[in-house]
Amino acid sequence: MDRLSAFEIFTGILAQFTPVWIALIIILGLSYAFRARLSLYGKLFDSPIGMVGLVLVLFWVLTALMADWIVTFDPLDQISGMKNKKPGWPVRGQDGMHYLLGGDNLARDVFSRMVMGSRTVLAIAPAATIFAFMVGTTLGLLAGYKGGKSDTVLTFLANMVLAFPVILLFFLLVTPEIRSTGVPLYLSGVLFLFPIIFFVLLFWSRYDGQGNKLYISLGITLVLGLWAYSGLAFNADPLGVFYMDPNLLNIFVSVVFVNSPTVFRIVRGLTADIQTRDYVAAAQTRGEHPWYILLWEILPNARGPLIVDFCLRIGYTTILLGTLGFFGLGVSPESSDWGMTINEGRKLLALYPHLALPPALALMSLVLGLNLLADGLREESLKD
Amino acid sequence: MASTTLEKSTAVKRDDMDPVLEIEGLNISFFVRAGEIPAVMDFSCRVMPGETMGLVGESGCGKSTVALGIMRDMGNRGKIVGGKIKFKGRDMGEMSEEELRDLRGSKIAMIYQEPMASLNPAMRIGKQLMEVPIIHEKVSETEAYDRALEMLEAVKLPDPKRVMEAYPHQISGGQQQRIVIAMALLSKPDLLLLDEPTTALDVTVEAGIVELVKELGEKTGTSMLFISHNLGLILETCDRITVMYSGEAVETGTVEEVFDRMRHPYTQGLFNSIPLPGADKNSRPLIAIPGQLPLPMERPKGCNFGPRCRFFQEKCDSGHIPMQHVKGELDHRSRCVRIEEIDWNDEPERNVVDQPAVAGDTVLEINDLKKYYDVAANKMFGGGDTRTVKANESITFHAREAETVAIVGESGCGKSTLAKVLLGLETATDGEVLLDGRDIGSTMVEFRDKRTVASVQMVFQNPFDTLNPSHSVGSQIIRTLEKFGMGDSDADRHERMLKLLDLVKLPRAFAERMPRQLSGGQKQRIGVARAFAGEPRVVVADEPVSALDVSVQAAVTELLMDIQREARTTMLFISHDLSIVRYIADRVVVMYLGHIVEQGTTDDIFAPPYHPYTEALLSAIPIADTSVTKKHIVLDGDIPSAMNPPSGCPFQTRCPRKSQVPGTLCETDVPPVRKLANGHEIKCHLAADILDQMEPVIVLGEKGSGKGDIATGPSTDSTTATLSGGDSSGGVTQGAAAGVSLVTGGAAALAGLSAGAEPATTPAANNRSPEDTVETKGMKTATKAKAATGTVSRKTASKPASAKKSSAATKAKAAEAKPAAAKATKPAAAAPPKGKATAGEATSKRKTTAKAKTASTAPAKGAKPKAASKSASAADAKAANRAALTAAVRGKASGATKSKATASKASGSKAATSAKAKTATATKSAASASKSKGTAKTAGKSGASAQPASFVKMRKPKTPDDLKMVSGIGPKIEGILNGMGVYTFEQVSKWKKADRDWVNAELSFKGRIEREDWVKQAKALAKGGEAEYIKVFGKKPR
Repeated sequence: MDRLSAFEIFTGILAQFTPVWIALIIILGLSYAFRARLSLYGKLFDSPIGMVGLVLVLFWVLTALMADWIVTFDPLDQISGMKNKKPGWPVRGQDGMHYLLGGDNLARDVFSRMVMGSRTVLAIAPAATIFAFMVGTTLGLLAGYKGGKSDTVLTFLANMVLAFPVILLFFLLVTPEIRSTGVPLYLSGVLFLFPIIFFVLLFWSRYDGQGNKLYISLGITLVLGLWAYSGLAFNADPLGVFYMDPNLLNIFVSVVFVNSPTVFRIVRGLTADIQTRDYVAAAQTRGEHPWYILLWEILPNARGPLIVDFCLRIGYTTILLGTLGFFGLGVSPESSDWGMTINEGRKLLALYPHLALPPALALMSLVLGLNLLADGLREESLKD
Repeated sequence: MASTTLEKSTAVKRDDMDPVLEIEGLNISFFVRAGEIPAVMDFSCRVMPGETMGLVGESGCGKSTVALGIMRDMGNRGKIVGGKIKFKGRDMGEMSEEELRDLRGSKIAMIYQEPMASLNPAMRIGKQLMEVPIIHEKVSETEAYDRALEMLEAVKLPDPKRVMEAYPHQISGGQQQRIVIAMALLSKPDLLLLDEPTTALDVTVEAGIVELVKELGEKTGTSMLFISHNLGLILETCDRITVMYSGEAVETGTVEEVFDRMRHPYTQGLFNSIPLPGADKNSRPLIAIPGQLPLPMERPKGCNFGPRCRFFQEKCDSGHIPMQHVKGELDHRSRCVRIEEIDWNDEPERNVVDQPAVAGDTVLEINDLKKYYDVAANKMFGGGDTRTVKANESITFHAREAETVAIVGESGCGKSTLAKVLLGLETATDGEVLLDGRDIGSTMVEFRDKRTVASVQMVFQNPFDTLNPSHSVGSQIIRTLEKFGMGDSDADRHERMLKLLDLVKLPRAFAERMPRQLSGGQKQRIGVARAFAGEPRVVVADEPVSALDVSVQAAVTELLMDIQREARTTMLFISHDLSIVRYIADRVVVMYLGHIVEQGTTDDIFAPPYHPYTEALLSAIPIADTSVTKKHIVLDGDIPSAMNPPSGCPFQTRCPRKSQVPGTLCETDVPPVRKLANGHEIKCHLAADILDQMEPVIVLGEKGSGKGDIATGPSTDSTTATLSGGDSSGGVTQGAAAGVSLVTGGAAALAGLSAGAEPATTPAANNRSPEDTVETKGMKTATKAKAATGTVSRKTASKPASAKKSSAATKAKAAEAKPAAAKATKPAAAAPPKGKATAGEATSKRKTTAKAKTASTAPAKGAKPKAASKSASAADAKAANRAALTAAVRGKASGATKSKATASKASGSKAATSAKAKTATATKSAASASKSKGTAKTAGKSGASAQPASFVKMRKPKTPDDLKMVSGIGPKIEGILNGMGVYTFEQVSKWKKADRDWVNAELSFKGRIEREDWVKQAKALAKGGEAEYIKVFGKKPR
C-alpha cells in the first residue's frame, strides 16, 4: 500500500471532520437567519474579522464535542511499525487505514491525539475563565463601588498575586509537598465559593421582599451550588456526579487564581466609572441596596468590555494550559494535551516536524480565533 | 446701561466690500456603512469683513459640520459633495492641501466648545501660544513670546506671565477658553469660527467671554462665524444670523429681521419654545414644536420641517424648496414656500392654565443646614492633613405644597450637595431638614422608610444618563414601583406603569423599548414618570431640560409643570438659567459658594433691590428678545474653589459693588441676612439706601418715549401694580411685579388705550371672552385684544402668594368682559388698567422697532394691524368665519374644556384661511368639536371624515389589481384600502384632493405619504400596466 499524497491527506482530514462541518453550517445558518434578534452576537455577522474568529472558535468547540467521531484511532493506541512515520503512512495490517498526520514517538496517531487534545483545553479554559470572572467580578464590583479601605486592601492583594511569577506559582501548587499541606484544596474551597455568593447576591438583591420568587431562586441556587461545590472542591459529592481529578483541580485552581486579579482590576475600573452615572444615583435615591445597584445596574452596563475580555482571557488561559502541559504540569503523562504533545515533539523537531506542528497549529488557530472574535465583538459593540 | 441692539444694526450693510467668506450651495455628506448621509444641504451664506454671522440650530442640524467644512477637516468619512466655499474670493476647493494647511490657523482660526480639548495638556501655555506666530510667520522666539504675552493681556487674563508658565490644567475653564481665543487671534485671522465657545462655561463666565469676543471683533475687525444653539447669545454677539434645521439653512437675515420679523415656521417655533420675558407658566405658557428632528436618512420630501409645521400644506412636500427672498428686506431670506401666505402674526394656541396651583402648607423646611466634607490629603493611608470643604453653609428656606422653588447658582455653589442631602445620598453635618415635620436630614436613604424615600424623588439632568441602558423602560418603572411599595401584584404594577406612561404622554408601546431607542426628550419623560411614580411630596429637578434641544425643552417643561400641578407636588427646580427660572418658579433661592445670598418670590428676585450676585447673574443671561435692554455687568475672574473659599462674604472677590461698602467689612465678616418685606432676604453688607436705589437689570420695551416712564422709579411701579391688581381682582397685593412687566406697562401705556379701542372695529373681537382671547389668534386685532387679558392674568398669576386671588381675578375679569363683549362695547372702557397691560404685552411681543416707535409717537395708530396691506375683505371673511366658529364652540365648551375648544377652532380657522370654499367644512368641524370636546386633532379629522362624493367604491372584483405595485402602498395599506372598497388602479387614479384628504384621514398616518404620487403611479398602471409605469417613472414598479 502506498503512502497518501499531500492532497489525499488534506481531503482525508477534511472528510474526517465531516460532522464538524455539518454542525458548523447548521449553527451559522441558523444564527445568520435570526441575526436580527441576537443582539451583539447577531451583529458579529457584519464584521469579517469577527466571523473568521467565530468560525475558528466554533470549529474547535465542535471538534472537542464530537472528537469521538472524528478520531481515526484511539489516541493512546500504539501500532507497531508506525513509530515516527510520515503523514499519510498506511497502517500495517489494517487495509485502507492511514495515519493522516503520521505517527509519534510511541507509534500513536498524531491526528487523533490532536483532535482529542482539544478536549482538555476546551474543558478547562472556558470553565476556569468563568470562575475567574465570578471571583474577579464580585470583588471588583465591591472594591470599585465602596472605595475606601476595602478597595485598598483588595487592590493590594490583587497586585500581590499579579506580581508573583506565574510559572513559579504553578510549580509550587503542583509540588507534592505543597499539595500535602492542603493549600490548593483550601484555595479551591475559597474560589469555588464565589459563584455561589455571586448568584445568591444576584437573586437576593433582585427579589428581596417578593416572597416566593426570592425563596425559589435562592433555594435552587443553594442546592445546586452547594452540591457542585462539595463535589468539585472537596470531592465529597454524595451522588458522585461532580468530580474533578486532583491533578485537574490543581490546574483549575491555579488558572482561576492567576486570572481573577486581572478581571478584578478591569471590573473595579469599570465600576468606578459607571457608578457616576445618573441612573446609579436614581437607583440610590429610590433606596436600592448596594448589591442591587452593583449587580443589576452597573454590571449589565459593563458587559461590553467584559465579554471582549472573556474571549481574550480564554485565549490566554489556553496558552497558559499549553505552557503548563509543556512543562508537564498537572496532566497525566499519556494525555494528549496540546502543550504536552508539543513538548514531546520538540525533542525530534529537526527530524520529524510533523510531531509538534499539528498541536502547535491547533493551539495557534484556537487562540487566534478567540482573539479575532474578541476584536469583532469589540468593534461591533462600539458601533451601536 | 449698554444697549445690545441698536448699535449693531448700523454696522451691518457693507455690500461694497468683498465678502471674507462666501458659501454657495454647500452640500456635505458623510459616508458610512448605511450609505450616504447628507449632513448639510444647499447651504449658502456670506460673511462680510468685520461682520459676525450667527449660525443657530439644534443638535444634529449640521451647524458644526458647516464649520468643519470651511476648515476642510471632516475626517475620512465626510466629504463636500457639492457647492463652493470661497475664502476672500478664492475657491477653497481648488487649493492644494499645502495651501489649506497654511490657511488654517493663520487666516481662518477655530475655537471649539471644550477648551481643555483644544489645548495640549503636556505643553506649557506659553509654548503653545508661541507656536502660532513661529509656525505661520516664522518670527523669532523672543518676538513670539512678546506677542503671546501681549495677546494674553488683550484677552484680559490676570498675571499673564504666570499663565505663560502654567500648564492648561492649572487654570480654570474660563481662563482656558480665553487662552484658546488668544491662540486663535495670535495669527490675526481674517475669519474666526467659534463653535459653541461658551457652552461648557458658567453663565457669569460666559458673559465675560462673550464681551471679550465682541470687543476683540470690533478692535481687530475679524469676521466671525458664531455657532450656537442659544438664540440669546446670538442676539448679543451677531450682526446677521442663519437658522439651520435638519441640514438646511431655513432662514437668514440680519438679527433684527430674523428676531422681529421671522419668516419661517421653525424660527417662529423656536422663539415660542424658549422662555422669553413675558412668558408665564399659567397665562402664557411655552409652545413646544411637536414631533422631533428627522433622522438624516429619514428626511421627508420637500420641506424638512413639514411634518412638524402647523402651517403645513400639500405644496410644502412637493419638492425641493429653495431659499426665497422676503419681500422688502434685502438680506432676509427664508426656505418656506408659503412665505407670502402665512399670517406671521398668527400665534399657535397655548394651553393656558385656568386655575393655577395654589401653594398649600409648608412641606419642606430646611433650617440652618450645613454640609461639610473632609477631604484627606493622602487617601491611600488616610493620614495627613484633612481639609474641610464647606459645600453648604447655613441654608435656610422652606417650600410649600404645589409650589415651585428654584435654586439658582453656578457650578460649585452647593446646589447639588443640597439635593443630595434632601435625597439622603449624604447626611447633613448640622441643621435639620424637615419633611412634613419629620427630620430626614441625618438619615441616609438606606435607612429611610419606603414612604419617605418615595416622597422625595429626583429628575436628573442628563437624559442620556438617567435611564439604565441595559433594562427596558417598562421594567425600570416597575422596579421603582416595587421599591416604593406601590401596587399589590405584578399585574397591578404593570398597569400602574402603563398609566405612568400615559401620564407623561408617551405611547404604551414604549414599555418594551430599550432606552437607546428613545430620543432625549422621551428619556427625560421617562425620568419624570419615574420620579412621580411613588406619589412624591417633593421632587428635586436638577436642570431637567438643560441638556435637551430647545424645541423639546418646552414640551418637557410643560409636562413637568402639568404633572406637578395635578399632583400638587412641591418642586425644587435647580438651575443656572434664570430665564427658565423666571418662567417656572414661584420662589427663587440664589446660591453662591454654599451660601444662600438671596431668596424671595420670583418677582422680588427679578426686581430691585438685588444682591450684587443676582444682579450680575441677571445681567449675564442672554435673552433672545431685541426689545430687552439689559444692564451690563460683567464679573471679573472665576468662581473661587469651594476648597479655598474667600474670607468674609463669599462673593467679595468678584463683587462689583464691594467699593460701596465702607471699610473691609466684606473681607472680614460674612454678611448678615437682611430681611426685607414679603420674605425677601438678601445676604449683603450693602446699606439699605444703596439697595433701594438699584435699578432693574432687565428692562422690557423699546427705546422710545416709554422708557421715560421707567425712570420714575419703583414708587410709580408699585402704584401701577396695585392699581391694575385692584381693578382686576379687587385686591391683589404682593409687592409689585416691578422690573419687567410693570415697566413695560408704563412703557406704552398710551398705545394700550388704542389697543383697547381696536377690538370694537372688528366683529370677531366682540364675540370673544377673555379666556378665548388669550388663545385665539389669526388676526392682528385679535392679538391685541388677547394681549389685553393675557397680560393681566400673567401679572397677577405670577405672584405665587396671590395665586388664588389672581385666578379669581381672571375670573372676575371674564365675568366683566363677557357682558361687555355681548353688548359689543369697548373693552377698553370696561377696564382701564387692561389698556396698560396691553401695551406691556404689545412691547414684549417682539414688535419691530419701527412698529414700537409708531406706537409711542402715534398711539392711536400703534395698535392697528401691522400688515395693513392685507385686503379688508379677506380679513372680514375670516372674521365672520371666526365669529361663527366662536359661537359654535361657545355653545358647549366652558371652563376647563375651553382651551380644547379653542384648539379646534384654531384648526377650523386655519382651514378657512386656506380656502373660503372650505368654510362650511370648518364650521362643521367646529360644531362637531363643540359636541365632542374634540381636540384640534380630532376636530380636524372629523371635519374631513365625511366621505367625499367623488370617492368611488366598488365590490371586490374577480381580479383586483395588485395595489402594492404602487410604491408607498404596502400589504397593510392595501388591506385598509381594500376595506374602503378600493381595488383597482383606476379608482386610485381618479382621486381628487378631497379624496386624498379623506384617505389620509382614514389611514390616519402620521407624517406624510406621497398620496399625490400614488395617483400618478396608479394612472400609469391603469393606463398601460407595467410598461407604461416604466415609461413614466423610468423604473419598474414593485
